[in-house]
Amino acid sequence: GCWIPSPAPQDILYRSGLCRKLRAGKSGATLDFAKQLGHFFVDHPEDAFGSLGRLLHKNFYLGNAKLKRPARNSTIRMTALVEDIDRLEARRGCPRQHLASRLRWFSHLCRDWLFEVPLGLLADCLHEELAQQWSNLLFDDSLTGGALAWLPPEDGETPVGRLVHPGGQAMNHLYFQDVVLEELPHARGSPAQFELSGRIRQVAAARVDGQDFVGVRSDYHCGVWRVPGKTGAVPAPLQVIRTDVPASCLTVSPHLPGELSVCTQSGTVYLWSIETGLQQLRHDPQTMFFRDHSPWRWSDFTAHPRVLSCADRTGLQCLDARAPKRCHFDLFKVGEEAGCQQGERVVLPMYLGRAHPSQYLVTTQFSMYVLDERLPLVPVLKWAHMMKAPPLFAHLMPGKLGKSHKVLLGASCTQELLLLQYRDRFWGVSSGGSQSACQLAGTPQKLHSITGCLQHLPTQLPHRHHLLQQRLSAPAAGLAATLQENGPCKSMLIFQLSEAGDVFCQRLIHKAAQPPAPPSRDEATTAPGSSPLFEAPASSPHGLGTAALQYRRWLRALSRSWREPPQHTWPPSLSQRRLFTHRDLEGPAGPSSLQKQMRQRLRQTMQEGGRIQQWEPLALQPPPLPQTLELAGGPDPLSNRLTAAWAGDWDQWWEERTSFSVAQRQRALRERRRRQKRAQGRRSLSASFTSSLTYQSELSELSDVGPSLLSPGRPPVLSQEGSPPAGSPPVRSHPPSPAPDEALLSSQSLRCRGIPKERRKTLRDYLSVWAEGPPEPPELPGSQASQLCFPSSQSQLSSASQPCRKRPRMGF
Amino acid sequence: SSNEHKLNFKKSKEACLSYIQDALLQKQWKRAAEFLTCYVESLEKDYSREHIGPSEMIWRIGTEILWHHSQSKMKEFNCFMEQMKTLGVKRYLKVCLEHVFHLLCNGQIDEAYQNLSLAESWRFGEQTAIQDKEIKLIQAYRGLLDYCSWSKQKKILLEHGEDGFADLAVEQEMHGYFRKAAVNLKEIIKIPGVWDVFVKCYVDLLEFYGEHNEARQVLNEYAYNSKFPANPNAHVYLYQFLKRQGESKKSLISALKILHDIVPSHELMIDFNTMLQKSKKRKKRHLGLEVIFAALDYAGWKENAKAWSCLARQVKQIVISEKHLDWIKQEWDSRKDWWTDFHFSHYLAKRNWQENKSLSCEKALVAGILLGKDCKYFKYISHQGCKARLKRFRMLKKFVTRHNPVYLRISG
Repeated sequence: GCWIPSPAPQDILYRSGLCRKLRAGKSGATLDFAKQLGHFFVDHPEDAFGSLGRLLHKNFYLGNAKLKRPARNSTIRMTALVEDIDRLEARRGCPRQHLASRLRWFSHLCRDWLFEVPLGLLADCLHEELAQQWSNLLFDDSLTGGALAWLPPEDGETPVGRLVHPGGQAMNHLYFQDVVLEELPHARGSPAQFELSGRIRQVAAARVDGQDFVGVRSDYHCGVWRVPGKTGAVPAPLQVIRTDVPASCLTVSPHLPGELSVCTQSGTVYLWSIETGLQQLRHDPQTMFFRDHSPWRWSDFTAHPRVLSCADRTGLQCLDARAPKRCHFDLFKVGEEAGCQQGERVVLPMYLGRAHPSQYLVTTQFSMYVLDERLPLVPVLKWAHMMKAPPLFAHLMPGKLGKSHKVLLGASCTQELLLLQYRDRFWGVSSGGSQSACQLAGTPQKLHSITGCLQHLPTQLPHRHHLLQQRLSAPAAGLAATLQENGPCKSMLIFQLSEAGDVFCQRLIHKAAQPPAPPSRDEATTAPGSSPLFEAPASSPHGLGTAALQYRRWLRALSRSWREPPQHTWPPSLSQRRLFTHRDLEGPAGPSSLQKQMRQRLRQTMQEGGRIQQWEPLALQPPPLPQTLELAGGPDPLSNRLTAAWAGDWDQWWEERTSFSVAQRQRALRERRRRQKRAQGRRSLSASFTSSLTYQSELSELSDVGPSLLSPGRPPVLSQEGSPPAGSPPVRSHPPSPAPDEALLSSQSLRCRGIPKERRKTLRDYLSVWAEGPPEPPELPGSQASQLCFPSSQSQLSSASQPCRKRPRMGF
Repeated sequence: SSNEHKLNFKKSKEACLSYIQDALLQKQWKRAAEFLTCYVESLEKDYSREHIGPSEMIWRIGTEILWHHSQSKMKEFNCFMEQMKTLGVKRYLKVCLEHVFHLLCNGQIDEAYQNLSLAESWRFGEQTAIQDKEIKLIQAYRGLLDYCSWSKQKKILLEHGEDGFADLAVEQEMHGYFRKAAVNLKEIIKIPGVWDVFVKCYVDLLEFYGEHNEARQVLNEYAYNSKFPANPNAHVYLYQFLKRQGESKKSLISALKILHDIVPSHELMIDFNTMLQKSKKRKKRHLGLEVIFAALDYAGWKENAKAWSCLARQVKQIVISEKHLDWIKQEWDSRKDWWTDFHFSHYLAKRNWQENKSLSCEKALVAGILLGKDCKYFKYISHQGCKARLKRFRMLKKFVTRHNPVYLRISG
């Protein structure tokens, strides 16, 4: 039930007294570069020290015995040094110990050459990464659109809608939760649940022909589900696509079933149809109207099902999907026409089709605009929203029959929530032209944020209060709302999702407008502020008791999850003490079956007086030779070097090698960085193939409590037919080392391979770590795996030119 | 130190502003007003170079608070506005304009007019030239108020008919208003922009006095000058003017053709289609089919029975005459991959049948011709229609079945 918070400023920034003094005068963040580079050396020792270690392994002795005379000339004993390091670690790295003199001496001697990493490149990459993380901290646009969707009930049916939202430790579980709209909305039954292989950034939904289509976006995967209109119907996954560059937008067409639009950070816009696949509409890494560095792109549908809008930070354009290169027009430009401020940028565009077929909402960090695509570039409504953080979420509730439309704007890190109402009586042209413009109805209203409810909650113990406060102040991750009419009583329900996976709900109850205070004259004018407005419930007598009950339950679950020891918060450490696993100690338990077979064959041949021409039995292939630890492919560098030395051109060899290896490492590093970036957000996830539909056994009935809270830890995953047998862990990405053969570890076989005695131990030590790991499940062939996940769909590559990768093919 | 003091001052200023905003957004007008009186101190050291300075902030927030505060009176409001005008000469005219809007909202038209006249005569060195745009707006709004007076007089004149001598005075007064209004309105619509209200009023004035050429020139300029934003209303006004003038079909069609190019989903497209369908020229009828198909592409037209009947009528005509089936084929080719789901799904058939029988009948005819008699939409509607024993639907079924080969030719 724990929530892994996103990085905080103190994780990235440099903190020391000196620095603070320096910074007091000027503003601006100092990134803690040295610490991060240190992390790299600790986390990736193989990369940093691997090759020189291999070169030097003859000269470093790790055994306990004393060195003998001839060896002592060229070998140093490292054991004492290792012990020193251990001791230092036991003191938690306290540097002010004389003990460390030997270490200091060693590092002084070796620090210039011991690592073999293209430091310049690594530093570039690191700096870029840090800068990106920092800018993400300042403004994280990956959440744009929000990860909460409300699927309203069909007209005339029971008032049961559905909330679609992510949850779980890494927000990688997708929940479809039935919610009953009564006095206090509550969850019904347990949610349908899907485990995905990435953090869910956005959930978008639209209803077409009585069915809901739900699009889900994570960084490198987008998926679509279909939810039939009937209550209680099971949501069905339809299709998944994978992108090479993180996707920044996914919207669902309100016009045609199974159509979506996808944008990636490389500036590509796709129209994605379940039936016909992806159609690239635009590819332009540059922004549209002026240069802006942000790779964020957005796209949405318009009144014409074949025309899509696409946006970047500088404005919006509309494209015709039938001829995207030729047919397009500008809808909104950050600039003079819209009266924009300096530095103003588009944050979230939204099609307002349910209110008016040709209108559009565009929010920036300062203002909100309503645009009409029939009169592009000139906003029909503009209002400065005064929000402290840019609004990343918006939700529209269309008003029927001339009533005002309601728009909710939500910000992420400040949890701000703003309700505004507008009327769209723009252009009643043919009827002679009623001239009332599109205008705000009443003053905008700020709604309660999640943290705001803390003061209304019963007092807690101080430390609990602190934890509760932390939990409640998690940034908002999504927003949804619905209007409810229960006879004369009208109300608005607003759901808010926090990054911790909790869903909160507030209800605004409609009160009839009070007549405006009589103006000084007799004219019966209505002030703009007197339109019907929603007001927050001060205390609704019935709802309060139930709400308190729900809150208490949530709190209990929350404190239970706190009490649990945090799992996997430390990186798995490798024990150096345990040199032999129980398997090694078992020793060779008699000849293997192959040996037996061979012996028998030999005996038989001798009896017959014949000869053996071929040792390999025909039916049996010999077990594949375990890969040597040296780089596979190409002759090993040591023998190369020796050969070169014998030939006399050792210098040249060394030059070639260094330049070669630097180039190679740079390439490898780039490749790795690319892979890691792709894997971001999938940190603690097991790339599971079982996206099976599960129902939790426990009774979980609270919607405003993340389901993750009720069942701390991994929910039981019931596997579907054909999925890997229950109990076996899901397929993991394989560790880079070859699976150790048991026979490999026996000292006999090690000797056979010519590995010197004192190195055998190290090797065994190394291999034992992998032997202890979980047994590798049989790898599923890709095609089979994809069938397991989405029987009816194929995963599509966004670009066909990409060869196969090491990552599991199936995402979600 | 002074630096620290400045920082603290800035900080408390920002905090104060955020409290005010908070109160405003929660409709706590009284609280906001109290904080605003504190915020006034920020004027003392106004070093800020922000987009909106404190004095402008006070003007904007103060107006908002006074507008909503339950105890505020118009007198106080006017007083506040006068203070604001002197506080910032840089936006003197903006404040004036805002003040006038508030007076108008309260029905104080005479005061508003007075204020506009005063603002117009304001002179303040360079500032007058800088606020050139605002002065144009102020003049235009004064022209608009003159127009209102003019149309009141016109009403009186028309009610009283042709009797009495007093009418001469009224007529003279009215003419005075006309001259004042026309001068100002004419000025504003020369500047590129969206001036729908002003243009309409000006054209109304001109038409009343029979200056049709001038009116036509104004409307043409408004519609076709490329410096102006592409405003569909401009073309609508021109079309309506031409219609009032009883112009030829040809010029009406050419006006609507441009509207069609800018906004294919405009409501006038139905009129346009009817006009084109009646035409004797083949080319125009072809254009008519294009227009109605293009209009029905838009989500807002999905359930427009009029538009569907237009399309059904034209399709029927073409099918019966068996000429120009290629027109239909041409339009259908670019749409057949998505219109089936967009217009002719089973779900829509059910809903259309329940909600609007005549719409479903028109749509079923089109579906039957375009997709054949086996398509879901047609099948469902004709089945329901026959079950309900409606003659119209029996005819529909007969027609589609008879002309089923057409479908093969269109889809082939």
